[in-house]
Amino acid sequence: MSNFWDRYGRSVSICHRMPPALKLALAISVIIAGVAIPVRHWPAYGVLGCLVFAGHSIAGIPLGYLVKRLLIFLPFVSSMAISLPLSQGLERGWDLTLQIVFRGCLAFLVSLWLVNVMPFEQLLVTLRRFKVPAVVVAILAFMYRYVFVVWDELDRMRTARKARTFSGGSLWFRWKTLSQLIGMLLIRSLNRAERIHGAMCSRGWDGEVRWLDDAE
Amino acid sequence: MHIQDGYLSTSVCLATGAISLGAVGYSLRRMKDSLGERTVPLTGMMGSLIFAGQMVNFPIGLPVSGHLMGGVLAAAILGPWAGCVAITLVLVAQWALFSDGGLLALGANVLHMAVLGSIGGYAVMTTVRKLLGGGFRGTVAGAVVAAWLAVLAASAVFCLEFRLSYSASEFDFGNIFTLMVTLHALIGVGEAIITGFVVSVVYQQRADLIETRQLAPVPVATSAGRFVAAGLVCALAVAAFAAPFASELPDGLDSVAERFRIAASEETVEGLFASYDQIPLAGWQRLSVSVAGIGGALAVFAAAVLIGRVIPAARPGFGIAEVTGE
Repeated sequence: MSNFWDRYGRSVSICHRMPPALKLALAISVIIAGVAIPVRHWPAYGVLGCLVFAGHSIAGIPLGYLVKRLLIFLPFVSSMAISLPLSQGLERGWDLTLQIVFRGCLAFLVSLWLVNVMPFEQLLVTLRRFKVPAVVVAILAFMYRYVFVVWDELDRMRTARKARTFSGGSLWFRWKTLSQLIGMLLIRSLNRAERIHGAMCSRGWDGEVRWLDDAE
Repeated sequence: MHIQDGYLSTSVCLATGAISLGAVGYSLRRMKDSLGERTVPLTGMMGSLIFAGQMVNFPIGLPVSGHLMGGVLAAAILGPWAGCVAITLVLVAQWALFSDGGLLALGANVLHMAVLGSIGGYAVMTTVRKLLGGGFRGTVAGAVVAAWLAVLAASAVFCLEFRLSYSASEFDFGNIFTLMVTLHALIGVGEAIITGFVVSVVYQQRADLIETRQLAPVPVATSAGRFVAAGLVCALAVAAFAAPFASELPDGLDSVAERFRIAASEETVEGLFASYDQIPLAGWQRLSVSVAGIGGALAVFAAAVLIGRVIPAARPGFGIAEVTGE
């Protein structure tokens, strides 16, 4: 899974070397511009689109990856947007649908750029600089550390289930076994959390989050 | 399920962001009180678990498949405040790793899944559980009902946000509301079934994870009490559907403005016909919405009863903790 998540986050380009706060500010301002500019100023959308694609190409993110992600994204955004003309008997509202789909794709591509030029740990450092409560950053860091472990555990349990059961069965049965899988994963994860908590306590954890660079 | 940027206007995004920020900030303070120094490992692990659990695909029979959302599940294990924080951070991580859900729309997503899902869901769950007399059946039924209502409430709130984002002339709000809420009544049944199964497994294996939250002893409910509880929940469900139609609050302002404009231009006759014209449509909506509401409520209760029947009640002395030797 790690080659799917923030896949190009560790390559080198001008975009990757930018200060994290600048990347965040750039992405947010382009998204706000994309959502807030009225449709009658449509040439501005073209400019924003060019800007986004330029950003992606400078960051070295391949077009194939963008297309693949957009293909997954498009059904969701268009199924929502299509409900607008659907609500008026498919006669009016198509312009609003187009507007939502276009704005959605633009914002999605901007987010994708940010995700791929800013590794998660950089986001955590930025959040701390913006005075986000230390406990929030600590929980996020903990999640990022252990989500891969939990994912691996889920994979092992799935393999074990496949090895022990016949495929198929009624829909109800499959839902039941899959839910039980999640339930067992939950118990195992909480047991792991208890073990980690014990290990943290034995190393002097008292609930106060401290960072190395705070001591300077 | 995530709202992307571009659906909602910037001002609605800012408003929902402010509400979510307040609710999550309050949850952070309350969470530290209840979990103490276990906050970081427990909440973080719950976040990782929900994150991973959302990747388990549940087949529906069509090419599409569903997955867990987890707001009520997190609240059932961690309590409402830590559950809200855990789901919020899952949403943040999903945006930061996948660009799943918009950046501006993060506030709206947090409001729907974390605030409504965890805090609201927890309130419903404890209410139903108390009314049913606690125990295995009460806990599972509470989780099932809460999960369904949480999905429903999220879709209703989304419709309101959508309505506030665009001018009324561009779409028919009543129809969109009907469409979205009916669709989510079905999606909610899936979420309710998954949550019910997961909670029942956890209750069987580690009842202490859920039971410790129950500080006050609950009185054993009589059959009359159960009847009242079921009636109450059905009423809640129907109210969740029908309230926006009954009050017509979002359309109130428009109709007032419309009336003034009509009076000014003296096209009263035409205005009158226009309003008569809409009555059959409004009646059809109310009927279909009520039918969907009652049907959905019955389906969820059937699911709750079925889960209770299929899985025998918890046996004492069989816990995963002993097996793994924690």
